[in-house]
Amino acid sequence: MTERRSVVITGVGVVNAAIVGASPALGAWLARPRPAPRTSSPVPAMRLPDATLAALVDGGEARRLSRVCQLTIAAARLAVGEAGLDPRGDPEQGLGLIVGTELGDFTSTIAFADGYLARGLAGLSPLLFPNTVMNTMAATTAIAVQTRELSLTLNVPTVAGELAVARGAAAVASGQVSAVLAGGVDELDPLVGEMLEVLGDRDVRGEGATFLVLEDESAARRRGATVLGRIGGMAWRSLPARPWGVGRQARSQAVAEAIERAGGRRPEWIYASASGDAERDAWETRVLAAALGPASLPTVSLAPRLGQHAGLGALRVAAATWTARSGLLPDDAGGEPTRVSGPGLVHGLGRGGNHVALVIG
Amino acid sequence: MRRTVVTGLGVVSPFGAGVKAYWTGLAAGACAIRPLTLFETNGFRCGLAGEVPEAAGGSLRRTRADRLALAAAGEALDDAGLERGERSAAALVVGAVGGGMFEAEAWYWARARGERVPGGVGALRTMLPGSHAAALGHRLRLEGPRHTVVTACSSGAVAVAEAADLVAAGVVDVALAGGVDALTRMCFMGFNALKLLDPEPCRPFDRDRRGMSIGEGAAFLVVEAAEHAQARGARIYAELGGHGATTDAFHVTAPQPDGEGMARAMLAALAAAGLPPAAVGYVNAHGTATPQNDRIEAQAISRVFREDRVLVSSTKSMIGHAMAASGSLEAVATVLALAHDLLPPTASLVTPDPEVRFDCLPGVAREAAVECAISNSFGFGGQNVTLLFQRV
Repeated sequence: MTERRSVVITGVGVVNAAIVGASPALGAWLARPRPAPRTSSPVPAMRLPDATLAALVDGGEARRLSRVCQLTIAAARLAVGEAGLDPRGDPEQGLGLIVGTELGDFTSTIAFADGYLARGLAGLSPLLFPNTVMNTMAATTAIAVQTRELSLTLNVPTVAGELAVARGAAAVASGQVSAVLAGGVDELDPLVGEMLEVLGDRDVRGEGATFLVLEDESAARRRGATVLGRIGGMAWRSLPARPWGVGRQARSQAVAEAIERAGGRRPEWIYASASGDAERDAWETRVLAAALGPASLPTVSLAPRLGQHAGLGALRVAAATWTARSGLLPDDAGGEPTRVSGPGLVHGLGRGGNHVALVIG
Repeated sequence: MRRTVVTGLGVVSPFGAGVKAYWTGLAAGACAIRPLTLFETNGFRCGLAGEVPEAAGGSLRRTRADRLALAAAGEALDDAGLERGERSAAALVVGAVGGGMFEAEAWYWARARGERVPGGVGALRTMLPGSHAAALGHRLRLEGPRHTVVTACSSGAVAVAEAADLVAAGVVDVALAGGVDALTRMCFMGFNALKLLDPEPCRPFDRDRRGMSIGEGAAFLVVEAAEHAQARGARIYAELGGHGATTDAFHVTAPQPDGEGMARAMLAALAAAGLPPAAVGYVNAHGTATPQNDRIEAQAISRVFREDRVLVSSTKSMIGHAMAASGSLEAVATVLALAHDLLPPTASLVTPDPEVRFDCLPGVAREAAVECAISNSFGFGGQNVTLLFQRV
């Protein structure tokens, strides 16, 4: 990609079962990454308490908006607030929005169908219907935050959050937008959990939203924004695999391209997308070895601590900027962090072959 | 940034499978909006839809939407005449909304009745919008960048814009992009609940219009770097000169009343192409035929173009609103209009709305050799996209 602009992160917003806040809250948790509380029904998962979410949105939003939209808006506001942007007050602050999600607003979709099944035509809710379209989180967040430029919702398995950040970074790098709010969100309600169980889903599941404000570095510095980190390079490709399947091929261009765009320096540590799905995780290990050589680099996933959801992919990018600043890579098992230096890689590989790489630092 | 051109087209529409059937229907001003046969419509305000006559062949183990997508995408790749190696490196961007919901609904309905449905788990696997890209990527052996965009009714057009960005930026030389949606009970019920469906075939820009007609289909375009296409001697249908994407940030379902977001998308496309409004001779409108949307779109077009200089039509009048597929179906119609020097009409337009001051090509296609045309697509959430195509 003919990138000319340096892409920096100026705001972070995280809302999940273990972390609620901007980059200081994330940093505090990463320094001692305690696992999010797990619920056991219907599947083991890490679910944000409703009371925590209620404290993050106003009463009107809580009544009007679905839970996953509330998660998205809460995290987006935290990120925009930390970045010091005010698109509501200044419409000239053009801001794009890219939302990655695996499941969308499934809860509302089911509720809409249930209305019909219970009461026939009279049970159809015109208020719920728009939520059955997966861009409902982007639509409501655009209104809440006043993002008026490019707006995308990306739906892929496992790596939706990483992909949203990579696509957002590409939009800033190419000059398509000067700033973009990019991240991921998923919720896990009981029926979704039941369906995932029926599907034989092997991930350790969680829920939440993480959004990042990505900006053209020169514009960010002009307005005096604090730079939290830099996305040096990003690329996404696909590897051969059946839908929902795990492939055999380990060779991929994505990592090499991201490194090349970042100036060619080899990453020294990795945030990987290992999610407890043994087959997929083993494939990712092979892909990383093919891309970076057999010597294993310090690697962390955070999925055992927070559970797999699209927000986690974006959270890993934010966490990687913390690691680049602090020189500390957290431990998935809760042990002492590893001291690291140099650039890092955020790596995502989903069932079906979606492959994303971002170089941080 | 590199110039991007269109070198392949593929369509499955309510006129049947293939670009030829699609263009023949559009050029004739035929209406393919008929009584819906796919599921029961008793009790609903509307019983019509633009239904694909047969789901374009393919294995019945695949979802209806995947079959539509595979047929259209395969036709586009064949039409572009790409070698296998060139195909494998191509990007794939799919605009989708409903995914395999038609099959998932059947599973859920049966589950609610306490019945077991063979293959139910399979339906769950394919119900998400991203499932089409996974199926297409695997079946067509595409290993370039791959993603699925969901921007409601503008998804297909956004996919084409995304592909153009990847090609223009030099990430890939070739990209396959388009949209797909099959009819679903959920969609049909939802628009009935919103009271947005006309009991008769829709009449965009007509004074007496009463709402939209739902449709289905798939359309894919091969978007390619101009120098790459020229080097391999490919047939070039048109140049994708620019595109613009904006968000209203106003309302979840209703467009901004003054059409400002729509107008910004059109202006952004013109700016990207480096063209003045006067260069555009034809607008393939989003034209859903709801009273509010048509009026606001006409207002937005008026903000950008002179009313006596640009011709406007809505091809939804012939095939209905195919949701995520509509943007790419209309992109193909716009490209073919340039290639054939023939502008498709607005069928069923009898009494033009006096508030719409454009010539909306009522009933009959018009011969016109325009140099440049745009295709508008707007979605729930105020997601506006304009694609601008130029004759080469």
